[in-house]
Amino acid sequence: MSHQAIIADDIVLKIEELSIAFGGLKAVDNLSFQIREKEVFGLIGPNGAGKTTAFNCITQFYKPNHGKIYFRDKNNNVTNLIDHPVHEVIKLGLVRTFQNVELIRELSILDNVLIGAHIDFKSSLFSQALKLPNAVKEEKDLRDEAIEVLRFLGIENRKDLPAGGQPYGILKKVELARTLMCRPKLIILDEPAAGLNDVETVQLAQTIRTIRDRYNCSILLVEHDMRLVMDVCDQICAISFGKFLAVGTPKEIRKNKDVQTAYLGTEDDET
Amino acid sequence: MNKKLLKNPYIQFVLFGVVLSLLPLFVIFGVLPSSYITLIGGVIIYSISALGLNLLLGYSGLISLGTAGFMGTAAYISAYFTVNLHMPFEIALLAGLIVPLIIGVLVGLVSLRIEGLYLAIATLCVSEILRKTFEELSFLTNGFSGKTASYPKLLGFINLTRDTSYVLLVVFLVLVMILIYNLVNGQLGRALNAMRGSEAAAQAMGVFLLKYRLIAFALATGLASLSGVLYVHFIRFTYPTTWTMGMSLNILAAIIIGGVRNIYGTILGCFIVFAVPDLFLKQIPYFGTMNGFAYIFNGVLIILVIMFYPHGLIYIGNDIKRLFNKKKGKV
Repeated sequence: MSHQAIIADDIVLKIEELSIAFGGLKAVDNLSFQIREKEVFGLIGPNGAGKTTAFNCITQFYKPNHGKIYFRDKNNNVTNLIDHPVHEVIKLGLVRTFQNVELIRELSILDNVLIGAHIDFKSSLFSQALKLPNAVKEEKDLRDEAIEVLRFLGIENRKDLPAGGQPYGILKKVELARTLMCRPKLIILDEPAAGLNDVETVQLAQTIRTIRDRYNCSILLVEHDMRLVMDVCDQICAISFGKFLAVGTPKEIRKNKDVQTAYLGTEDDET
Repeated sequence: MNKKLLKNPYIQFVLFGVVLSLLPLFVIFGVLPSSYITLIGGVIIYSISALGLNLLLGYSGLISLGTAGFMGTAAYISAYFTVNLHMPFEIALLAGLIVPLIIGVLVGLVSLRIEGLYLAIATLCVSEILRKTFEELSFLTNGFSGKTASYPKLLGFINLTRDTSYVLLVVFLVLVMILIYNLVNGQLGRALNAMRGSEAAAQAMGVFLLKYRLIAFALATGLASLSGVLYVHFIRFTYPTTWTMGMSLNILAAIIIGGVRNIYGTILGCFIVFAVPDLFLKQIPYFGTMNGFAYIFNGVLIILVIMFYPHGLIYIGNDIKRLFNKKKGKV
């Protein structure tokens, strides 16, 4: 691919001068950062900083006005995500969760996870309707894989229960499981700790690390819970009012003056 | 072992079909009046159409009020093929499927732009345009006087009677039930469910909205057309006034009353909406003969069902079972 040389070998996602405006409001303004392979990367910023908008630009729910989003896909080809329609992004190995868990209440947890395998179904509608052997085998294989993922996340025993009515922590895990079905290169988590209690948040940090190690993927997370971000992230990018503030390790970010004033409060507050 | 076999959904569908197709025997032995065959046959025909609409409404969350128009189009076209062109039933069936299917797919294309009530109104307009066409295009439809057809002639030489046509309806119903069951419990069903739940989440999971909306519309209109073809070759006549909004609404009501996203529920709903008025309501003195009493009955029933059984009357069975078990437990 022509973009191959643009990003270094160990970079999975590189955002260059990303900008998007809604009317006169510049929600994201000239934002650049990059994520390495097997890195947990945090995107932080005060309310309204444009984190979710940046997310939606990366996942192509919004088409940015300006900028490039280079992504190294499953086959190690580098493409500009902006050239892809929103439903094709997952095929490249980029998958996301939602701030407010987006599951189907009426379906069982297992079926919800299988939605994550949508792109893996290769058999035609015709063979699905007639339950031809190839469709049956495919369904069974992916079902087994989904059970495997649920077991990995420790919620296999609930697989046949409907998603509606499950506790929030479980639903968050189901959504995580759904992202794992496509064997992603990069998982984008939109506020994974929102609505979780302290114990669950600590577990989540552990889960994020094990996912990274087991699935060999990078994770980008937007999060308000600073303990989680500081605990789990290798690199953090801070933004405010759509503009880039700083990037660095949690320690560096904590010490950064701009970030402190914009987000964590002034030094006086801390003492 | 036996119990396990009975739990297999396919066996259940076939058994259901076998039981249904026993009806003509009851008539032959004089247990039931022969008008029941036409009545239950009608329920089967509407069920096929309702199963298609259920796919659209229940699974994809798209509303269509155009069912009657598509049924009518298929009915007229297939009747034209068998009566005027003397073609075999199979070719008429195909012809009856293709034209509405094309219109249905076009509506599906539009559905990406308009949603909810607006889609309902747009499909209603399509249906009304089609109905008006039935009135005016008299070389094909015979206009207001209506078009007559005969029982299907299979493969060009097997002439069906009313009873065997009825069995053919049952066969089609069972096939449709099996197909729908397979589709909704596989990738397609999940994709449609995902689309209804959240379009954003569906897209993030790789569901191409346009493709799946088109599939949903194609399947729904395809089944509506099939039921239209069966209608005209079983009832054996069709008037433009049959295919009004009332019919579309009745099919919609059947789904809501019987049970959204439930195959047996849909059929139960069709039985309640299309057979109960003729079977029981007409017996009620004074009210029974009142014009439009069936509509009042359906309306009240919808309100009651939504209040007490929001997922459909089919779930009443579970409650009865629970009540029964409770009583048994006490004794």
